[in-house]
Amino acid sequence: MTTVNQQSGIGASARFSLRPTLLVPVLAVAFAAAVGLMLIAMIGVSVPNAVSAFVDGTIGSPYSLAASINCSAVFALVGFGFVLANRANLTNVGGEGQIAVGGIAATAVALYGHVSGLPLGLSFMLPTLAAVIAGALWGGLAAVLKVKSGTNEVISTLLLSFIGVWLLYWSVQSTALLRKPMTSSATLPESLEIPDETKLPLLTGDYSFPVHLGLPLTLVLAVVVWLILSRTILGVRLRAVGLNPVAANRAGISYAKTVMFALLSAGALGGLAGALMLLGEQYTLKDGFSSGYGFDGLVAGLLSRGSIPGVIAASLLFGFMRSGGINMEMVAAVPTALVVVIQGLIVITLAGATLFIEKWERR
Amino acid sequence: MSGAATVPAEAAEPLLALSQVTKRFGSFTALSDVSLDLRPGEVHCILGENGAGKSTLCNLIFGVHQPDGGAMRYRGAPFSPSGPAAALAQGIAMVHQHFSLVGDMSVVDNVLLGRQRGILDRRQCARELEKLAADYGLPLDPFAKVEDLSVGERQRVEIVKCLIRDPQLFVLDEPTAVLLPDEITALLDVCRRVASSGRAVVLVTHKLAEIKKVADRVTVLRAGRVVATSSEPAKDIDALVRAMIQGNVDALDTSAASILGLDTVKHVAHEPAAKSRVEALQIDGLTVKDHQGVTRLDNFTLTVDRGEIVGVAGVEGNGQSELTAVLSGMMAPTEGRIYLGSSDLTGRSPKEITAAGVGIVPEDRHATGCVLAMSLAENIYLNRLDEFTRFGFLRRTALEREASALMQRFDVRARGPASSFLSLSGGNQQKAVLAREITLPNLSCLVAAQPTRGLDVGAVAAVYNHIRAACTRGIAVLLVSSELDELLTVADRIVVLYRGRIMGSCAADPARREAIGAMMAGHAQ
Repeated sequence: MTTVNQQSGIGASARFSLRPTLLVPVLAVAFAAAVGLMLIAMIGVSVPNAVSAFVDGTIGSPYSLAASINCSAVFALVGFGFVLANRANLTNVGGEGQIAVGGIAATAVALYGHVSGLPLGLSFMLPTLAAVIAGALWGGLAAVLKVKSGTNEVISTLLLSFIGVWLLYWSVQSTALLRKPMTSSATLPESLEIPDETKLPLLTGDYSFPVHLGLPLTLVLAVVVWLILSRTILGVRLRAVGLNPVAANRAGISYAKTVMFALLSAGALGGLAGALMLLGEQYTLKDGFSSGYGFDGLVAGLLSRGSIPGVIAASLLFGFMRSGGINMEMVAAVPTALVVVIQGLIVITLAGATLFIEKWERR
Repeated sequence: MSGAATVPAEAAEPLLALSQVTKRFGSFTALSDVSLDLRPGEVHCILGENGAGKSTLCNLIFGVHQPDGGAMRYRGAPFSPSGPAAALAQGIAMVHQHFSLVGDMSVVDNVLLGRQRGILDRRQCARELEKLAADYGLPLDPFAKVEDLSVGERQRVEIVKCLIRDPQLFVLDEPTAVLLPDEITALLDVCRRVASSGRAVVLVTHKLAEIKKVADRVTVLRAGRVVATSSEPAKDIDALVRAMIQGNVDALDTSAASILGLDTVKHVAHEPAAKSRVEALQIDGLTVKDHQGVTRLDNFTLTVDRGEIVGVAGVEGNGQSELTAVLSGMMAPTEGRIYLGSSDLTGRSPKEITAAGVGIVPEDRHATGCVLAMSLAENIYLNRLDEFTRFGFLRRTALEREASALMQRFDVRARGPASSFLSLSGGNQQKAVLAREITLPNLSCLVAAQPTRGLDVGAVAAVYNHIRAACTRGIAVLLVSSELDELLTVADRIVVLYRGRIMGSCAADPARREAIGAMMAGHAQ
């Protein structure tokens, strides 16, 4: 029985009445949170203060709740892209760069594309579209390298990320590009604020609860990506190429086209995430614009184990963690470094839990 | 079991005794209550079809797996090896089905691997090798590179690697699958000699001819259970086969029976196609050089008519893989052209070749024939999934309905079209691949490489029947196989590949077996 190790236990988990798939991640997060609180106590910060600051920062006010949700939407988009490319066995770690070029494109079109007078919402749709195209090109570049010369997409997307982030830095440093006109030596290296018409509409129209159009858009895309992966021929092709590119090629499924589709879509979703950040929240492009959102989204995609609801759950967790963490830092004086440590702890325990679930299912 | 004899009471003390050993993998029971003893000085054959549990049994003895139930005793003491190293230390050696040699190292270095630490004494080892070579008739150049050796010589290295440890128990898991007829005889000879030096030899096989030649005792496994034993295998052969395949030997397909070694090999002609002597596949001067510039296929020229089965014989690794890769569009030839009827297929993509009406049953179905983790329905229509879409959505219901119909026609047994391809047995996987390729709408040529490898008797017969039926429909069939008996039974005409060249060709006449064997070994006619 030399082939036994190939027989993974597909469907084996169905036999267990207590499915650990849900329970284990919850326990993992609880464990990481407990360790985090211990660390906070150890550096002499009052634990109740830290917890209340965290809660305030996440759901304490309509504003913080909205900020958490907007942040989650960005993570989710990058995560969907990761899952989609991963179906073809491609690891897209380029979310950060795709967000950056998306942000650049959206800013450029919003500020200098003469779009603010356009009717029917075109004034914010066109910058969004530009961001999507820029992100897709950024992902597509990695796809071309992969198809033409076999460059590992992990390396190319990662390096393209650095290029994207530094392009953004350059574009806000130079007045010939996107930097706002220098009126004094104190003028910050950032773009002008985009015109109001190009900002994404808020769902409530009220700045005290600034959830923008990105949330419904992300939910629609969740359904679309889920449909593509589970119901369409594209999804089958992605799987076939991912699982056995040789057999897929023999059966007439084009490797090049499938890889192009996977990385273009992942890039487009990353670019869209950049558009949401710029047109929905930040309104000016500045250095540090992407600030690790692409990598957090990547982790959300990784932890989801290929499931779209999993991406949503992980994105919500990270979105709330991020806004709660910022508030903990500002209000309870918990050092930023510690917030990052706690986030890292959650990722590691969740990843460990994922491993545990996979072992459990294989038994 | 009429012919199965009981073990004589005065038998020698067993070297290794298994009592009621059970091994499970998940919910699958690979071995169930297997009791067996191995005595010094005997060649003990384990006979069984694929999936009967033969390899699992070997792996338990060699410590690769640990039993879930039952006990093993070795030299009178309880025996539970924690791994191969433990088994080796106690004097148990095993030659695996697949070689475990390092290609760009010398024979001596391969033999020394894992044996010596610190400073290697190559000369001492070479001396030992030469002594073994003389004792057992295993000639080897100790300083030759393994990758320059033939398959038969490589196996000798594997055997010597075991013997140099002076094992008490010597296990060989299907060692003859890759060998030439002559080499098989030599190997069986070595088994005999090892046994007569007072060691126990376990030989796993599914070929009856080998059992007749060498076995002292036989244990037959079926579905993980011992279903028959015999200490006079030559006499009991029919009963053993019946036990192995659980069926009536007489009802067996003639060609399948001859592959099994049950019968003398007979050529079974397919019904002639209505339209004969029309050239379908034309291969003209095909030459393939690999990326290192080594010629793998050398000026291969062959024509296959409609309704004809042409066999390509040869020991594996003589250009067969390159031939099928080029014909299926997975590899571009260095020179030469391929025509199907009047259209030039040279250098076309796999998709275009499928569209032109060439069905390909690849030699390695797991690597190129299927996507294991996808469903049976998806696999059985992998090259025609586009026909089951509406606005880009896959029409799963229609796909599974059509797949069910094909499953029925080709007797593919599975829980349903949606079940994972991984859950199918090798035979059913192969039938599914064959179904996919043979039902191409405009099929005019079928290239089947090693189509019965790893299949049990029933599945082998089914594969032959489908190939013959296709041929009767007027399909040109190119059958590439390293099993000469298979070609002699099924093909009309045989060409022999040796080092990428056609050594010769002749009608598939069992009487010419030896001549073909000589060509396979590189002797021109």
